[in-house]
Amino acid sequence: MTDVKGGQKTFKVFRYDPAKGGQGHFDTFVLDIEDYYATTILDVLFRIQREQDQSLAFRYACRVAMCGSCGMVINGKEGLACKNVVGDLRTDVITLRPLNHFPVVKDLTVDMEPFFKKYEDSMPYFEPAQELQEPAVVRPDTWERKAIDMATDCIACGCCVSSCTMAFWHKDYLGPAGLNRSMTLLADSRDGLHDERLAAAMESCYNCRLEFNCTEVCPKNISPTRAIKYIHRMAVRQGPGLADRLTSTPEPKALPAPEPLTPAMSRRRFLSRSAIGLGAVAGVAIGGMVTVSAISAAFKEPERKWVSLGPLEKIMDSPGEVATIYANYQLADGFYKRDEHKPVLVSLNREKNRIIAFNSRCTHLGCTVHWDEKKKLFMCACHGGTFFPDGVVKSGPPPRPLERYKTQVKNGNLLVLEA
Amino acid sequence: MASVNKFDYRQPLHRGVLDPNRVRATQAGMWAWLWQRISALAILVFLVLHLTLTYRPLLQFCLLFTVSFHAVLGLRVILIDFGLVHVRYQKALLAGLSVLGLVMLAIVWFGIY
Ligand code: SF4
Ligand code: FES
Repeated sequence: MTDVKGGQKTFKVFRYDPAKGGQGHFDTFVLDIEDYYATTILDVLFRIQREQDQSLAFRYACRVAMCGSCGMVINGKEGLACKNVVGDLRTDVITLRPLNHFPVVKDLTVDMEPFFKKYEDSMPYFEPAQELQEPAVVRPDTWERKAIDMATDCIACGCCVSSCTMAFWHKDYLGPAGLNRSMTLLADSRDGLHDERLAAAMESCYNCRLEFNCTEVCPKNISPTRAIKYIHRMAVRQGPGLADRLTSTPEPKALPAPEPLTPAMSRRRFLSRSAIGLGAVAGVAIGGMVTVSAISAAFKEPERKWVSLGPLEKIMDSPGEVATIYANYQLADGFYKRDEHKPVLVSLNREKNRIIAFNSRCTHLGCTVHWDEKKKLFMCACHGGTFFPDGVVKSGPPPRPLERYKTQVKNGNLLVLEA
Repeated sequence: MASVNKFDYRQPLHRGVLDPNRVRATQAGMWAWLWQRISALAILVFLVLHLTLTYRPLLQFCLLFTVSFHAVLGLRVILIDFGLVHVRYQKALLAGLSVLGLVMLAIVWFGIY
């Protein structure tokens, strides 16, 4: 332990005067503090008000972290002024600022109306499912009670709502405190408004982006994030059919009246039926055509032709180890004749007077491979596959070596069998 | 004293506005969220660059890195969303998954690729 118990501390306090308006500013106060660990931020505010500036406005009531009146942003983090001691704040200058997302009334005092509006929307009241003479007990060792846990301890201080950026970006978001309250009642088996409450929570509970800010700042160590995730999972289980349950509970639905067979009605029926029928016929026809054309190609052995790459001598004379020759031929593809203009990679072994002709289609996803003379590799630009001069994969995603063409020499011309 | 009416209230402050210590006070969960957003944009940029400027190992590494980073953060969200990991362990989860992400990155970069 250091023997430094206290000393001088500087406080920057946000000031806003409604009579003057404007954006507000920070005032700096320097205080001599006897014992950092025996002085709360609320004590500091009292002293500033008493000793230096009587016009400083802030809110408090219980002074023991029970009422939730004194929430503010202390050194960039929401907290209760009466719970934070100066010793825990490790900066030379401590900044005090009103909560976010609430209109500032004066200095550190905010208007909590938006908070309670959202709180109200979350239906924070208990509605018994049964009329009972004695209070129903939820035993402490039940799963339900454990799920609710300390979540009922909320003192509505607004710290979590202030810390949550989603509470700002989504205006209808019930927010951490509201959903936390919702969860305590949703998990309660005695609750009579379960479906309504779940519907209200489901309207906006997916606005949570898992920032965990609310969990970090809550002075009662509640995790609204946990509560929101609990609601998400409950929504998965109970959400389907919720709308039906909500509309059908008040009274059993009246039987639908039998459809009158007026001429107009039957005409409409006829039209809709024939539309469906025609649609079905068209669907079958188109589907059949597509299937036949897709499958037939696989059964028909495509005619392959020998394609000339030009005089072999000329190819052998080209610089480098690999000659890239464009093959021009026509490919018959169904109704179409496609003109192919495709590079063929001819690897030249001059000593043995042998050649290998590679298909330039990458065996990964079919991009065109090119020969890199400096690296002595075939490379595919799409996903970085590389091949050795013999076509074997060096690296990258291709699963197989490069495909080789069948070759023959006719009248001094090099021919490859098209593929 | 003149009475104060609602029109005189200052409009609400927001996260970080007039708040010199906010960035320092920002915790793991918020960073995780923020970095996942940023990495999503980075993936878009790197992917486009990767497709136009090919064979740049540095670029390929950047893409792989941002993808693994983004995936790790997404995995964390999934695990917590499905209740497979209690929210209590969110920070440990972040650390653990980051290590896992780096290991996977190393395997892909040095081993497979
Ligand atoms: S959940 Fe915690 S931070 Fe939010 S209002 Fe309740 S006590 Fe305050
Ligand atoms: S004064 Fe009641 S919580 Fe701080």
